[in-house]
Parts: sequence; structure tokens; C-alpha cells
Amino acid sequence: MSDSSNLSPIEKIKTSSHGLRGTLKESLQDEITGAVREDDHALVKFHGMYEQDDRDLRSERAEAKLDKLYSFMVRLRIPGGAITPQQWIAANHIAGDYSTGVIKITTRQTIQLHGILKRNIKPTLQDFNKVNLDSIAACGDVNRNVACSSHPNTSPLHEMVHAYADKISRMLLPKTRAYQEVWLDEEKIAEPESEIDPLYEDRYLPRKFKIGIAIPPDNDVDVLTNDLGLIAIIENEKLIGFNIAVGGGLSTTHGNPNTYARLASVIGFVAGEENVLKAVYEILTVQRDFGNRSDRKLARLKYTFDRMGEDAFKKELESRCGFQLEAPRHFEFTDRKDKYGWQQDHKKRWHYTLFIENGRVLDSEELALKTALFRIAETGKASFRFTSNQNLILSDIDPKDKAVIENLLEEFNLNEHTKNASAIRKNAIACVAFPTCPLALAEAQRYLPALISKIEPLLAKYQLNEQDIVLRMTGCPNGCARSYAAEIGLVGTAYGHYNLHIGGDRQGLRLGDKYRENLDEESILIELDNLFGQYKACRNENETFGDFAKRVILV
Amino acid sequence: MLAGHKLNTILDIVKTSSKEELAWINGYLSGILAGEKGPEILEKPALQKKKITIAFGTETGNSKSVATTFAAKAKSRGIIPKLVSLDQYRLSDLPKEENFLAIISTHGDGEPPEAAKKFYDHIHLNGFTIPKMNYGVLALGDTAYPLFCKAGEDVDQQFQKLGAKRIVPLQKCDVDYEEPAQIWFDQFLQSFDDLTPVHVQEPGIIKKSAGKKTYDGVLLAKTVLNGRGSSKQTFHLEIAAEELDYQPGDAIGIIPENNESIVDEILSQVQANAQQTLVFKNETSTIYELLRSRLNISCLPERIIKQYAAIIDQPVNEIRIALLDLLKTYPMPQPQKFIELVQILEPIAPRLYSISSSPSAHEGEVHITVANDKFFYKEEQRSGLCSEFLSRLPVDTDLKFYVQKNNSFRLPAEDKDVIMIGPGTGIAPFRSLVAEREATGSTGRNWLFFGDHHFTTDFLYQTEWQNWFSTGVLTNISLAFSRDQQEKNYVQHKIIERAAEFFEWIENGAFLYVCGAKQPMSVDVEQTILKVIAEQGKFTVADAEQYLNNLKEEGRYCKDVY
Ligand code: SRM
Ligand SMILES: Cc1cc2nc3c(=O)[nH]c(=O)nc-3n(C[C@H](O)[C@H](O)[C@H](O)COP(=O)(O)OP(=O)(O)OC[C@H]3O[C@@H](n4cnc5c(N)ncnc54)[C@H](O)[C@@H]3O)c2cc1C
Ligand SMILES: Cc1cc2nc3c(=O)[nH]c(=O)nc-3n(C[C@H](O)[C@H](O)[C@H](O)COP(=O)(O)O)c2cc1C
Ligand code: SF4
Repeated sequence: MSDSSNLSPIEKIKTSSHGLRGTLKESLQDEITGAVREDDHALVKFHGMYEQDDRDLRSERAEAKLDKLYSFMVRLRIPGGAITPQQWIAANHIAGDYSTGVIKITTRQTIQLHGILKRNIKPTLQDFNKVNLDSIAACGDVNRNVACSSHPNTSPLHEMVHAYADKISRMLLPKTRAYQEVWLDEEKIAEPESEIDPLYEDRYLPRKFKIGIAIPPDNDVDVLTNDLGLIAIIENEKLIGFNIAVGGGLSTTHGNPNTYARLASVIGFVAGEENVLKAVYEILTVQRDFGNRSDRKLARLKYTFDRMGEDAFKKELESRCGFQLEAPRHFEFTDRKDKYGWQQDHKKRWHYTLFIENGRVLDSEELALKTALFRIAETGKASFRFTSNQNLILSDIDPKDKAVIENLLEEFNLNEHTKNASAIRKNAIACVAFPTCPLALAEAQRYLPALISKIEPLLAKYQLNEQDIVLRMTGCPNGCARSYAAEIGLVGTAYGHYNLHIGGDRQGLRLGDKYRENLDEESILIELDNLFGQYKACRNENETFGDFAKRVILV
Repeated sequence: MLAGHKLNTILDIVKTSSKEELAWINGYLSGILAGEKGPEILEKPALQKKKITIAFGTETGNSKSVATTFAAKAKSRGIIPKLVSLDQYRLSDLPKEENFLAIISTHGDGEPPEAAKKFYDHIHLNGFTIPKMNYGVLALGDTAYPLFCKAGEDVDQQFQKLGAKRIVPLQKCDVDYEEPAQIWFDQFLQSFDDLTPVHVQEPGIIKKSAGKKTYDGVLLAKTVLNGRGSSKQTFHLEIAAEELDYQPGDAIGIIPENNESIVDEILSQVQANAQQTLVFKNETSTIYELLRSRLNISCLPERIIKQYAAIIDQPVNEIRIALLDLLKTYPMPQPQKFIELVQILEPIAPRLYSISSSPSAHEGEVHITVANDKFFYKEEQRSGLCSEFLSRLPVDTDLKFYVQKNNSFRLPAEDKDVIMIGPGTGIAPFRSLVAEREATGSTGRNWLFFGDHHFTTDFLYQTEWQNWFSTGVLTNISLAFSRDQQEKNYVQHKIIERAAEFFEWIENGAFLYVCGAKQPMSVDVEQTILKVIAEQGKFTVADAEQYLNNLKEEGRYCKDVY
């Protein structure tokens, strides 16, 4: 535990925030600026928002004696990433009324709206509230959106496992009603006891906390990149419990050797819902009490875990749980990719997985994607499931309704669009980066599509176009698109420059290694050309690019 | 009834008394009969002192300062002066006036100052006469404008029409008005002293003016203050010049040049010889020179259009039009008549821009804040001459200008509070005021009301106001962005929102400033201020108006609207 003398500034802000209220109400009254007050900047995150500004416009606005163009990004809390068509319709309208209009599907199965001006935050959150959607704890030093294997045909037990995402999310919500008071204008309730928070107390966690749930053999959620990974163990059609994996986290900081990307370690197995939830809860309390509160760069559970050591961590956890963890059960992951196109589940319901490049839902000349999805939602015959690969599953479609959806997919060319996208494109993800992400060093989602168009010919040159190679790009080392857990990872270092990581596996059990630094586009293409050449020439049968790179290139 | 000896004495007195003496005796006796005075002898009553009304109509305070010095001078000569601003003058008093001086300037395009409008319109009504009146008119103006001292001329002529007696010729003054004004007043005093007034008919000759001080400025920097996506275009210009002399509240005057391409088009339209020379304002210059930088060809007023109609002798029904459009729509049958046309054209009138810099904070520079003045001619969108000229002006080029003083828009004592209401470009003088107050460490509080279309793109000088707000120089800032929500939201709504505080500031002696669009802004704002005064001060409408008038009188309610 870190002594209170050198607590990071954020700690002070949290404890003196009156349950995350801070001066938010006052901030909203400040007419002279589009930003919130300094301390509130950290607090809005706990309410699911980030204050941002359009980085493209900074210099020209300074020139014009105008303040930065501040706006807010709202990230919803959607455990397991499933919403109703009515909720999608609402999101569609809200995006149009108050944000840039683009709906961004994230790598954690939720959606974000960007460019919301301060005065529009309340209307935005109030309109979402009308359809039972909120952004509570979607960001901040709390448990984040709980991810879960998205495709219902993964297992007949998918629904049962998926339900955990929501249970866990609700169990780990902060108790403060600040969100309702500040954004929804609800009355302040009399007795403050109702706000006493045994889990988060008044200091919350030292850092963000992420939980993912995987249903083998699918690992679309990249379960081991989470602080806490739950791997469903199903034996003869029964869900008997979960393997518990802790200490995942990808972010590193350029030039800070103490930071590292790490996959979670499977430390045991827990049976039965009650114990599973108990274990989850106590893992958070251990992190709350043992996590580093002075250096936020070393505050994630992965560092707490490595500092304590597996045994000590396990002991502490078991004593808090009041039961022992059992030995981990055997499990196997085959891959992380989305199952594009039509799939049917055990209940005979249909699901269509739609390719959405970088998760950006908007209408463009080529594709009226947003309109199409709106029309599909209007039929009320398909629910919407977001995948951790930033794609969308139009799901739970009754066989008799399949035709209706199919026709719309045809009418708007979505089927063509998904079919025609190359394998490398369909398996790629990129983070947001410019212009909204304040931490971006290089472009990502605005650039990757164009780069892929230049990579595709290289693959074709070696007849590798059918390969499901996992390519991921992030604009900085934070790894929001999990670029370290990819067969080819591009990590932004400076504008137009990227580190090249290779050797990650296809299933998400092995991270890649840094292979080259600060490459510009030309060098990236030269490197890949030559890597693909070697792969084509020397790979073993069915050897993935990632495995080949690990075996041959990196030794 | 009188005994014989008494009767004789009286008859004797009456015989030997002058008219005045008899009148006095008469008064004396009736006094006794009224039972006031005892029978002691009273001395001869003093001659009545002469009275004179000195009325001024001013926009920027010059006429007022002239009138004030006149009043002082009159007093010292034993005359009783009544000094009054024309907007305070009771019009029904006119017929009773015996001695009346009008000092009036000209604004707009030959119009009287706002404050003199009611008076000006009244004397243009017929149906009454002012035969008792002896009068003189002093007209302030600027020869740079086509209609020099027009308002003064009109007043002078109307007084004649209404039967008043002119006892000094009309004097038209250019920008250096002090000296001719004094000479004129002395002349007036003479004719005023001897009781038989001199009748001078011919109007006073314009004293040759040394002109105003023009600065040879250089455009240092130019930026657009509106953010991307704004429908507006507001330029911030920084101009360097030597030995600058101005105060916050002043404006600069700029005489724009006409657009080269338009001049060329005109010349080819009429096949005129660009190099042919002409005499204009007793200076010879080429036709090209004249069209390019001397003559107003961008917006001909009706009076010129009429003359053009006469030249080409066919009807032209336009109220205002650019020369090129006129020539295109109503071509000249005989192009050689073009010279005739050029001769009737008027000089380009100066455009004024409130100075947005402060002498103390931005030494050696004047800044102005210029809105690109867009308008439609038929379906075609165009920009106003000067705002377009300035928007095209490259950095580092020379720019001549003069300072237009505004003595009725001045900062109060450093400890006084200031309320500034300036939406749009009306914000310009307030940037100057606040910068000046910061630089000079004024202790008074400052409250700004600003408004425009959109918060994100049209908050003029946002970062500067933010700094002043965070350092406390700016106490309050109230913002109204009209197009950020369904219902329109203007500065006056913001005043209402904080009515109590607003009134409390005024009660505390705050000075009120309004700058920007005359219509509708300044009118709506004034209505709102009256409303606030009435409601907060529990006044009747009439009392509220009186209250505001008093503020005006005390110089605590200043407007600079256009
Ligand atoms: C939207 C999203 C990327 C995307 O294109 O989908 C995203 C976007 C941002 N991430 Fe992330 N992260 C997103 C998934 C991730 C992931 C991947 C994952 O969780 O599976 C990671 C790596 C895993 C991990 O947490 O280690 C990730 C690691 C970070 C970090 C590094 C955390 C750390 O341990 O140091 C930051 C920076 C921070 O928190 O200080 C960050 C911060 C950010 C911020 C909020 C930048 C900021 O702090 O101001 C980015 C907002 C950009 C924008 O304008 O939208 N984001 N971020 C993902 C939203 C997930 C969600 O719905 O909650
Ligand atoms: C005391 C004072 C202070 C001022 N301060 C500022 C300031 O700080 N900032 C600022 O931006 N302005 C200010 N102004 C206004 C400024 O002086 C100009 O009036 C303004 O810039 C427009 O001038 P212009 O030459 O661009 O437009 P002009 O060419 O004078 O045109 C003005 C209007 O006339 C009409 N018009 C012109 N040509 C034609 C045509 N051919 N046909 C039909 N209609 C036509 C249009 O309606 C047009 O909008 C101030 C004015 C005054 C009196
Ligand atoms: C906007 C404006 C328009 C003017 N128009 C005229 C004009 O048409 N004719 C003229 O002779 N003087 C004109 N002038 C010059 C003024 O009459 C001159 O500056 C005078 O000294 C102002 O006196 P005042 O301060 O009493 O108003 C104009 C001045 C301004 C500011
Ligand atoms: S990886 Fe970096 S650049 Fe990309 S979204 Fe995350 S923080 Fe921003």
C-alpha cells in the first residue's frame, strides 16, 4: 500500500468530491468556457465522459483568439454490449441532435458519441436515460464496462454466461447518486447512508479496472487483456464455474521501463454464481487496498499482482473470500475473430455479423450505414450486439423475420460490403486517436483503412489474402486497440511514425514483441513485404503469421 | 373732488413729467392704493437683464463643448444663458424664444445627430411661426463628407421660413471648429449688444480648414475572429502609426479605395480615357485616379441618381445603386457625357471603426474590429466597400486614417463601476476600455454583456475575456448566443435575468455603455434598461425615463451606436 504522503493529485480530488459531485453543477453554469473546472475534469470520467477538444483546430483557434473547441465524449455502460432496437434508435437520434453524428463502437462492446458541447451533456444523458441507458462508471477509477463473448451461437449457455456481465456490472456500480442529481436533475435524497459505499469508499480504485468474460473456444473479448478475466468452464452442457485470470493490461509508456503490457495469469477456478461474484468483488477490494495510489502509471492490478506475487495475492484474496480457489480447469481458445455473415444458434434464431470498419457508424458516399441500421432497428426484429472487434451483430432474429432483415442488408449493400472486405481488413482494429484523443501521438482510425489498402497488394503478391492475420493499430502506447496482443501491431510513437510489433498469436494467449521502431509508412510497407515473403517461403503447414514470426523472425 | 390748490399741483406735476415719470407715478400711486408702500420716494427700477438660449445637438460631444464655452462667455458679459441639449428642449417653448443659438453637427449621410432628431423634425413641420426669435446657427461638420454641415443648413433655413430673425450668418465649421466657432460667437455678441440687430443675409463663408490629422499607418496583422463554420466574418486589424493620440471610446476614420476591377469595368463600359484629367475639389487628377480612390461609385444616393436621370434624360427608378450597375441597367446613350457624370459624383465618405485597442496597453497601435458587411444586390451577395477593402488589404501595406474623437464616450474615474453592453462588433470599444482599465490599475468593477450567433465560433476575443475574468479585471460577463437554442436569446434577455444586480450597480453609480447596431439592438436594450429601472426601482414609466435622462445628463449613460 502506498503511504498517504505522496498520493497522486487525483486521489485528493476523489476523496474531496462529495461522492463525485465536485463542482460539476457550477462548471455547467460557467458561460465563458466550454470546459469544466480543473478538478471536475477528472470527475466527469466517473460519469462516463471525457473532456476533449478538436486537436485539428487548436492552432487556428488560438490565432482567432478563440478558446479550444471543447466538447465531451460520452461512453455508455452496456454490459456485454447488447441493446434493443429501440435503444439503437434513441442513440441514432441523440447522436444526430447533440454529437458529431458518428456512433463509435468501441473495443469494449459499447458505443461512444463525440463532440458533445457542455450545454448538451444533460439533454444527451437525459435522453439516454429515457431508454434505460446510462454512462455511469464507463470511465474513471472504477470497474469499467464488462465485456463478454458476443455471439449467441458460441454456446447454448451463452445467455446464462452473458447475464453475468450485467450482474457484475451492477454489483460494482458506485453507490453515489451524483449522476442522477447532476445530469438527470433528480432530487437530492435525504439520508446519505444510502450512499455509503463499502466497495469504493470515498477513494474508489487506484486506477481503471476492467473485467472480461470469455466462452471458450471464442476469445473475441481478448479476455486475458483485462485486469480480471473470467473464463466460462462448461462441462457436459452445464456451466460449472469460471477460471479466474488476473493482472491483464496492455498499456506501456514510451521510455518508462517500469511499465509493460501483460496478459492475465489464470490463478484458479471458482464454482457457483455466489462464489464467483464474491471472488470478483474481493479482487477489487484487494486492488483497492494494495494498489499503488501515488504513481498512476504503476497503479493497474497487473503491477499490484506482480508486486505482491501470485501466492501472496491468492492468500489475501482467499482470506477475504472465505474460501479457497480450486485448480484452474482446462480450456482452449481457437480464435478472436468475428463470425461474419449469417449464423444460427441452438434456438434456431438468426444472427448477422456486420463488418464496420473501426466501429465507426456513419453515412458515407459509398455506404449509407447509419441509415441502414436505423431502418433495421425500426423493424424491431433484430437486437444489436457490439463486438470487441468494433463490429455489430444484428441478432436474435426470428427465422420468420430473417427475410425482412436480409432485404434491408441487400437494399443498403451491407451484405456486399461485409463480403467484399478483405480478410486483413475484417480482422483489423484501430483506436480513435486524432482528432479527439488527447493522448494520440499518431493517427489510427483515420489512417488504418488507407494503410490496409496498401498492405492488401503485398499479401496478394504472396497469395496470402485469405489469411486471417490480426492487424491492430493504436495512436499511442496505451493500446486501446490491443495492438500488443496482435500478430501485427502498430503502435504510434510520433505523427506518421509507428513501432512495429509482431509475434502475437491468433487466439490471444501470447503478446507480440517490438520488432522495429519509429517506422514511417514506406518503411512499414517494406518491412511487411519482406516479412510476408519469408512467411510465404518458410512457414509450416497451417502456421499462422504470428506463430511463424515468433518461431523464425524473433529468435 | 380735489380742492383747487391740490388739483393745480398735480396738473403742474403732470405737465412737467416725462412719460416714464408719469408711468412711475402711476405705479407709485396704485401701489399706495394697494396699501403696500409707505409714501417714501422709490428709486427708478433697473433695466431687465437679457436672456439667451444656447441649444446644442451633438453625437460625439463637440457641439456640447462649444455650447458650454459660449454659455460661460455669455455669463461673463452679463447675459443670462440657458444651456440645453436639443433632446431635452421643450418644443412648445420655441414661439416664446427671443434669443436662440443652435449649435448642431451633422451625422450619417447629412442627418442631424440622434439627440436632435425630434427638434429637427418639429421645425420642419409647418403650421406655427416664431416671429419673436432672434437666432444664429453654428454648424459642425466635416468636409470629407458629401453633405457638409447639412443639418445646420437645414435648421438655419427652417428658422427663416418660420419667421425668425437671423442676427448672425450661419457658420459652417470643419473638423477644427474651435477657432471659427469663437470668432462667430464674438460677432454674435456684438450684434446682440446694440439693440438694433444687424441684418446679415448671405451665409457665412467656410473658414478654410487646416483639415484633420491623418496618420500614415501600416497594417501589422489581420486575423478573422470567427471560428471555422461560422456564417460571420469579423476581422481584427492591428495598425501601427507614429505619435498616436486617442482615448478609449474614440474611433478611426478610413477612406476606402474602390475595387480596381470594378473601375476598369466602368471605364470599358463607357469607353472613357482613363488618363484624361479633371479638376475635382480644386485638384487636378486623372479619371482613373478619381474613380479609384476619390469618388463614391459603390453606392450612389438618390440625389445623384436623379441627376444622372437628367443627364441621360430618361427616368431611373432606383434609390441606391452602384455606378457600374447603373451604367449597365441604364446605359449612357452618348458616352462622352461620362465626364458630366463624373463631375456630379461625390467623394467617398469615410467609414468609422471603434478603436478596440488601448493607448496604455497597445502602445503605438490602433486595433479595430471589422465585420464583413454582407448584403444582397438582386440575387448576388456582395460586401460593403470598406469592410471588403479592409478584408482584402494585405499585411504590411500602408493605411491612412484619422482619429474621430468621441467625447461623450469616455471612461469614468478609476474607482467607478462600468457596465458594457456590446454585442457583435459593439464589443470593440469595450476591449479598449477594459485593456485600459487593466493597464492603469483601475479599481472599479467591470461587467460585460456580449452576444452573437454561436458560442463556439462567434465569441469575439474569447481568450482575452477569459484572462480578464480569471485575473478579476472583468467582474461579470453575461453572454447571449442567439442561435445556440430554439428560442432567440439576446443581451437584453441577459439584463433581465440579472435585473436586480444590474439595477444595484446603477444605484451604486455605475456607468452604462452601449455600443453596436443602432437598430434594433440599441433600441431594445434601452427599452429593457427602462423596464429594469421601473421594476427594480418601483418607478412609473415616466419616472424611469426621467431616471435614465438624469443618467444621460450625468454622462453615465453613453451610447455609440451605428
Ligand atoms: C474508445 C476506445 C478505443 C476504441 O477505438 O475502441 C478507447 C479510447 C480511449 N482510451 Fe482506451 N479506449 C478503449 C479501450 C482500451 C483498451 C482495450 C481494452 O480495454 O480491451 C485498452 C488496453 C487495455 C488496458 O486497459 O490496459 C485501453 C487503454 C487505455 C489507457 C491506458 C491505461 C493504462 O493502464 O495506462 C488509457 C490512458 C489512461 O487511462 O490513462 C486510455 C485512454 C483512452 C481515452 C479515453 C483517452 C483519454 O484518456 O483521454 C481514449 C478516448 C479517445 C476518444 O476520443 O474516444 N485507454 N483502452 C476503447 C473504449 C473501450 C470502452 O468502451 O471502455
Ligand atoms: C461611430 C461608428 C463606429 C463604428 N464602429 C464599427 C466597428 O467597430 N466595427 C464595424 O464593423 N463597423 C463599425 N461601424 C460601421 C462602419 O463604419 C461601416 O458603416 C461598415 O463597416 C459598413 O461599411 P462598408 O463600406 O463596408 O459598407 P457600405 O459600402 O458603406 O455599405 C453599407 C450598406 O449599404 C448598402 N449598400 C452599399 N452598397 C450598395 C449597393 N451598391 N446597392 C444597394 N445597397 C448598397 C448595403 O445595405 C450595405 O450593407 C461604425 C460606424 C460608426 C458611425
Ligand atoms: C458617422 C458620422 C457621420 C458624419 N457625417 C457627416 C456628414 O454627412 N456631413 C458633415 O458635414 N459631417 C459629418 N460628420 C462629421 C461630424 O459632424 C463632426 O465630427 C462634428 O464635429 C461632430 O460634432 P458632435 O460631436 O457635436 O456630434 C460625421 C461624423 C460621424 C461620426
Ligand atoms: S491508444 Fe492512445 S491514441 Fe489510441 S485512443 Fe487510446 S489513448 Fe488515444
